[in-house]
Amino acid sequence: MGTALERSLGIVLPLLVAFAIAAIVLLTIGENPVEILTLMATEAFGNVRRFAATLSASTPLLFTAVATAICFRSGVFNVGVDGAFVLGGLAAIFIAFTLPASIGVGIIPLAFIAAAVTGGLWLWLPGVLLAKYEADEVVSTLMLNFIAAGISGYLVNGPLLSPQSGNNVTPLIHETAELERLMPPSTLHAGFIIGLICIIAYWTWCRNTPSGFEGAVVGQNPRFARAVGISVPAVIILVMVLSGVIAGFGGASHGLGQMHRFSDGFSPGYGFTGMAVALLARNHPIGILFGAVLFGALASAGTTIQLFSNIPLDLVNIIQGTVMIFAVIEAARLMKNRRRQTHAV
Amino acid sequence: MRLLQGVERPDGGEIFVDGVRVDFTNPGDALRHGIGMVHQEFMIAPDLSLLENLVLGEEPVKRSCGPLSWIDWPAARNQGQALAEQIGALIDWDQHAANAPVHILQFVEIIRLLRRGCRTLILDEPTAVLAPVQVDELFTLLRNLRTQGTALLFISHKIGEVTALADEVTVIRQGETVFHSSVAECTADEISRHIVNGELHDVANDEAPKPQSELLSIASLNTRSVNRSHTLHNISLTIGRGEILGIAGVSGNGQNELAECLVGLRPSSGLVKLNGIALSALNPSQRRRHGIAYISADRRHEGLSIQSSIETNVVAGSHRTSPIGHGGWLNRAAMRKIAQDRLQALDIKYDGPSDPVSSLSGGNQQKLVFAREIATAPQVLIASQPTRGVDLNGIAAIHQLIRDFRDSGGAVLLISEELDELIELSTRVAVIAEGTIVGTVNAPASNLPLIGRMMVQGAAV
Repeated sequence: MGTALERSLGIVLPLLVAFAIAAIVLLTIGENPVEILTLMATEAFGNVRRFAATLSASTPLLFTAVATAICFRSGVFNVGVDGAFVLGGLAAIFIAFTLPASIGVGIIPLAFIAAAVTGGLWLWLPGVLLAKYEADEVVSTLMLNFIAAGISGYLVNGPLLSPQSGNNVTPLIHETAELERLMPPSTLHAGFIIGLICIIAYWTWCRNTPSGFEGAVVGQNPRFARAVGISVPAVIILVMVLSGVIAGFGGASHGLGQMHRFSDGFSPGYGFTGMAVALLARNHPIGILFGAVLFGALASAGTTIQLFSNIPLDLVNIIQGTVMIFAVIEAARLMKNRRRQTHAV
Repeated sequence: MRLLQGVERPDGGEIFVDGVRVDFTNPGDALRHGIGMVHQEFMIAPDLSLLENLVLGEEPVKRSCGPLSWIDWPAARNQGQALAEQIGALIDWDQHAANAPVHILQFVEIIRLLRRGCRTLILDEPTAVLAPVQVDELFTLLRNLRTQGTALLFISHKIGEVTALADEVTVIRQGETVFHSSVAECTADEISRHIVNGELHDVANDEAPKPQSELLSIASLNTRSVNRSHTLHNISLTIGRGEILGIAGVSGNGQNELAECLVGLRPSSGLVKLNGIALSALNPSQRRRHGIAYISADRRHEGLSIQSSIETNVVAGSHRTSPIGHGGWLNRAAMRKIAQDRLQALDIKYDGPSDPVSSLSGGNQQKLVFAREIATAPQVLIASQPTRGVDLNGIAAIHQLIRDFRDSGGAVLLISEELDELIELSTRVAVIAEGTIVGTVNAPASNLPLIGRMMVQGAAV
C-alpha cells in the first residue's frame, strides 16, 4: 500500500502551486508574500487555540470526504453527499429538539441514527436508479442536492420554524444533546473524534472486509467484477447507502456539535469541498485526513487573516481555487475512465 | 486495407491509382485520390438528420466568409438526392440518423464518399450488421455502382456473398495472398479450401479418453443482442465428463455470446443443465458455485482487471469463501497465502503479489486466469480463445492445463478461431455460423475440410 499512500499525498503538489500563485498575486499588489503566508500558517497552526479552530473547520470535511471516497472508489460518481449531509443534519437536529430533554445524552445516539437512516435512504434512491436502470448518477445525485435544499428550506421556514425567531431557523436543540466541546473556548467538538472513527472504519472496511474488496474490484473493472461473480448492482447500492450514512453522520455532528440548530446555509458546500479532498487524496484515508485538515486550515486562517492584515479573504479563495483545479483534473480523469467502461460493456 | 486508407505506411510495395504511383501518408491523401472506406462502425452523428450527416465536414456554402458562411441546404439536398437516384437508393433526407435503419445509414455513408469524389470504395464486412432483406438492397445498390464505373473492394467472410456479388476474388490468409481467380472460374468449395488450407497440416489428436456421462447440456438456447445481427438461435449441445467440445467458427458468429450465456453474463432463453441441475435462472456467482469456470476471450477487459494487483486478480471470486472471507471479515494473510499457492501451482513467475497484473507476460496472464478459475475445482470450463495473444511456450502450457482438466473428469467447451488448436484438443467440434450450430463433427482431425466449409459457407453445406 506504500504507493497508494504516496499517491494519496497528491495534495502536496497542488498546494505548492497554489501558494506560488498566491505569492505572485501578493507581489503584484506590493505585499511581502513570505510575511503574509507565514501569518496564514500561524493563524492556522500557530498555537493550540488556532490549531483547534483549524480542526473544528475540518470536521465536516472528514465526513463528506469519506462519504465521497466510498463511492468514487467503486467508480460511482456520487456528487450528492451535500444533500445527504444537509438532510441528515436536519433529521438529527429535529430529534434533538423534539424528543423530551429528560432522555439526556441518550438523545445523541438517537439523533445520529435518525441522520444515518435519512442520509442512507436519500442516496439509496440514486443507487437503485443507477444499479437497476442505469440512470446517470451524476445527474440524479446533483439534482437531489437541489431537492434536499428545497425540502430543508421549506421545513425551516414552515413547520419547523422556531417560534422565538424571525425566519430560517429551527429551535435550538436541548443542551444535553449538544456534543461536548473538546477545547473550549474553541468550537472544536466531539464530532471531530467521530469523524476520525469514520476514517478508521472506512479504512478497515476497504482493507478487511469482503464487501470492501468487492467495492475496489468494481471500481477497477466492473466487467471483470461481474465475470468473477461479484454483483455489481449490489455493490453500487451498498456504496451509495454507506455514503449516505456517513454524510448523515456528518450532518448530525455538524448540527449537534457546531450549529445547535438548523438554519438555511447549514452546509456552505461541505459536500463539494469534501469531494475535492477525496479526489486529491485518491480516496486514501490518510490523504483524506491531511486534505481535510489543510482545507480546514485555509478556512480558519482566511477568516482571521482579514483582521490582522489588509489582505482580503479573496487570497484564500485564490489558493482554494487553484487546489480545486487539480481536483477537477482528477475528476475529469475518473470521468474519462468511467465513460470508457460504460461503452465497453 | 489500412495501407490503402493511408492509416498505415507500407514497408514495401507500391500503390497505383489510374496507373500513377501514389504515396498515402494519411486518410485525407487516400480520399483525395478517390479511395474511400465504409467502416463497420458507421461515422454517423445520431442526433443529426441524414442530410446533415451527409454534408458534415464538407458543407456546401453560399457566401464564403469564414465562420459567417451560410450553408447552402438546397444545394446539399440536390447533390445528395442526385447521387441517391443515380445509384438507386431511396432516402428520406430529413430523417433523424438515430431513427434510420442500418442499411440506410450505410447508403448515406456510401453517398457521402461518392459526393467527395470517391471512385474506389472499400467495404469492410458491410453485411455483418444487416438483415437479409437489407443485404439484397445493398447488393442492388452496389451492382448499380459497379455499372457506373466505381471500383468496389468487398471484404467478407461469407463466400455466398462474394460469389453473388464479385467479379474477382482474392483469398488473404495471415497477410498473404494465397489465391486469386475470377469468380466465374472457381467454385465456392475451391475458395473455402484455400481459406482453411494452410491449417491442414497434420495435427495429432491425442487419444482422448472416451467421454463418460453427460455433464453439461444446452437445449434450444436463444439470445438477442441490441446492436449486432449475430444472435444465437436454437443452440443445442451436450458435453460429457472428460470431453472437450470444440466450437469452430469465423470470428463474430456468436461465439462470445454463447460463452456469455453459459456463464450467465447475458440473458438467454432455453435450458442449460449442469449435472441435471437447471442453471438458466441463476446469476454468474451462483453458476460458479455450481461448478462453471470461465476463461474470457477478452483477457484485458474481462478475464483480468489489468490495473489491479496480481493478488486481487488471482483470488477475486473466492474472497467470500473460507479461509479468505471469514465471519464477515477478509483475512488478508490467508488471501496472500492462497494467491501464492495458486500462482505456484501453475508455476507462474512474478515479482510481488502487489504488482499490477499488467506486469506479467501474455502467457503468464492467461495462466493466472486459469489458476483462478480451476482453483475452485469446477466441473465445466468455458474456455473462449484461451491462447489468444499467448507465446508458443504459453500455448503449450495452456493446452496441457486444458487436457489435465479434461483428464480429471471435467467437461470443456473450447471456443477458438485456431483450427489447429481445436483439432488437437477436441473430442468433437461443433461449427457455429451466424448464431446457429451448423453441424457437429466427430473425429475432427480427419474432417478438417468439412469443418472449414461449414465455417465459411454456413448452413449452405
